[in-house]
Amino acid sequence: MTRDWWKHLILTLGALIVIAPFYMMVSYSFKSPGEIDRGEGGFFGRQEMMVDERCVKLRDPNRDDIAAAALRFPNQTDAQIRDALVAEATAECSMRPVVFNYTKAFTEAPLLRYLLNGILVTASIFFIQVLVAVPAAYALAKLKFWGREAVFSLVLFCLLIPVHAIALPLYIMLAKLGLTNTYAALVVPWTISVFGIFLMRQFFMTVPDDLIDAARMDGMGEFTIVWRVMLPTAIPALLAFAIFSIVAHWNDYFWPRIVVTGNRDLFTPPLGLREFKGDGDGSFFGPMMATATVIVMPLIVAFLLAQKRFIEGITLSGMK
Amino acid sequence: MERRQRRAAWALTLPAVVLMGVILLLPVTVAAVLSFTDFSLGNDSFNWVGFKNYDRLFTRSTYAKMFVATFTYVVTVVPISVGLGLGAALLIQSLGRFRELYKTIYFLPVMATLLAMSIAWEFMLHPSIGMINRTLELGCGTVLEQVWPFMANGCAKTFPVWLGDKRYAIWVICFIGIWQGFGFNMVLYLAGLTGVHRELYHAAEMDGAKSGWERFRLVTWPALGPTTVFVVTISCIRAFQVFDTVEAFWPQGGGPNKSTYVMMFAIFEKGVQQNLIGAGASITVMFLVFVMILTLIQRWLVERKVHYG
Repeated sequence: MTRDWWKHLILTLGALIVIAPFYMMVSYSFKSPGEIDRGEGGFFGRQEMMVDERCVKLRDPNRDDIAAAALRFPNQTDAQIRDALVAEATAECSMRPVVFNYTKAFTEAPLLRYLLNGILVTASIFFIQVLVAVPAAYALAKLKFWGREAVFSLVLFCLLIPVHAIALPLYIMLAKLGLTNTYAALVVPWTISVFGIFLMRQFFMTVPDDLIDAARMDGMGEFTIVWRVMLPTAIPALLAFAIFSIVAHWNDYFWPRIVVTGNRDLFTPPLGLREFKGDGDGSFFGPMMATATVIVMPLIVAFLLAQKRFIEGITLSGMK
Repeated sequence: MERRQRRAAWALTLPAVVLMGVILLLPVTVAAVLSFTDFSLGNDSFNWVGFKNYDRLFTRSTYAKMFVATFTYVVTVVPISVGLGLGAALLIQSLGRFRELYKTIYFLPVMATLLAMSIAWEFMLHPSIGMINRTLELGCGTVLEQVWPFMANGCAKTFPVWLGDKRYAIWVICFIGIWQGFGFNMVLYLAGLTGVHRELYHAAEMDGAKSGWERFRLVTWPALGPTTVFVVTISCIRAFQVFDTVEAFWPQGGGPNKSTYVMMFAIFEKGVQQNLIGAGASITVMFLVFVMILTLIQRWLVERKVHYG
């Protein structure tokens, strides 16, 4: 331990730099605008009550409000009633900075909708990828058929093509089909995961043939074998692939940015955050960082809960 | 039986084959064809323009800046993120305590949405209220000011406007790229290190490799060869695809004086935003050529290694 102190020193310094933006993001999502501007309040901020100016302005009483409130404030002049109403509004519009930031994150933009879109898109992509890749991987690993070598060469060749790189022709094809600004556009280019086929094939190669022969003896067809026999043996590989796929598509910004323009209903979380930033007048650091925190957290929490699995998943998908 | 199996095999692979054709191969062809035209969306007719789009790629100063920015990024980020990944892996592996903690922390940026983190970095880099310049200001009036001209300059006038200054912009992008990517490389190296046999170190020690450096040079580094080839290739391909940070910081134009006008951003700007499909397609083709060359080099290296060992 004592001999290793310099290693800990280096690694700790590195860790501080790595964590700094996370620290700042979460900390700003707790603080009031004033604390952010002046750079004070430690990690959590002082959490003093603050008044949401915009909310007060929105509730600025007009003549009708004052007339309606006259019953509640008998024997007072209009000016006095007005003051009382403003005081009421101010009281109701004041809250702790952390509450302010996170409510704003969900009310200024339809963040919940964005999150659901993200889940929907990520889940559909993974589901279709499995549906397409697993049968193909099984055939390539375990069945003898004319053209197998050719199909496998095709898989190896396609591994060379990063989908982001061909985004422009894909975008044009989708535009010609009239599919831009649809959920389909967000999902379609990712339905085929060549990498998934490759990974699952490598895994299926290790499954003993006897298992498949026995299943055939029992009268199972090839389709049934894929889902009933092969898939259950491949859970570790499938899990690795799931992690790989979900992380990539939850975080993806480039492709949604290209095919979704303007239609907020289709925004994925990163697009929503981008839009939030574009709209902001600069005083919205707190809510924006709250949005960022909400978007980043699901994967980080999942990662912290199942670190081993995540790291294995990412490396497994890397090494083969 | 045989025939039934054959039919089933084709039925099982057909969806994948069709999708590979339509989603991966067809677009490559489409890009190649369109790069010789002046096509634009919403315009039914187009003209063949020969190599004009490519000609522009190599003569216009905007594209010269694009290549400079892209290669600066790749050449900076790849070696440093691979080196830091290896360094962190070696340090962590040699430790008894806190290994998991460091591993977890260094891996966090890999999992985080890069766009969100770019916005967090943007605040960190804010010229007046950002954490970075505030931290630098702490160094004013200390000995740092005498020994470090950058510091003296910053304290006397102001510290840099990181994202608005063409001298710094591309390096900030590189820094964030390294920050985000080296944890991934570290994890791959840690996996590679578990495959190095203990006996090899004993053998090397017998042969007189006393220092840690000697052991690294003689045993660890050669044993990590395949990992390194893979890590370098994947880092290169990822580095070529940098986009999120550039778009988050400078939605228009690719940074101060186009100093961060990377290829992905150029494809997006020309092809999608300005509807100059021909230009975008020719950049796409160049991009694919770079990636293909890289991967072929990797496969060649891997195969040589296999025959060697």
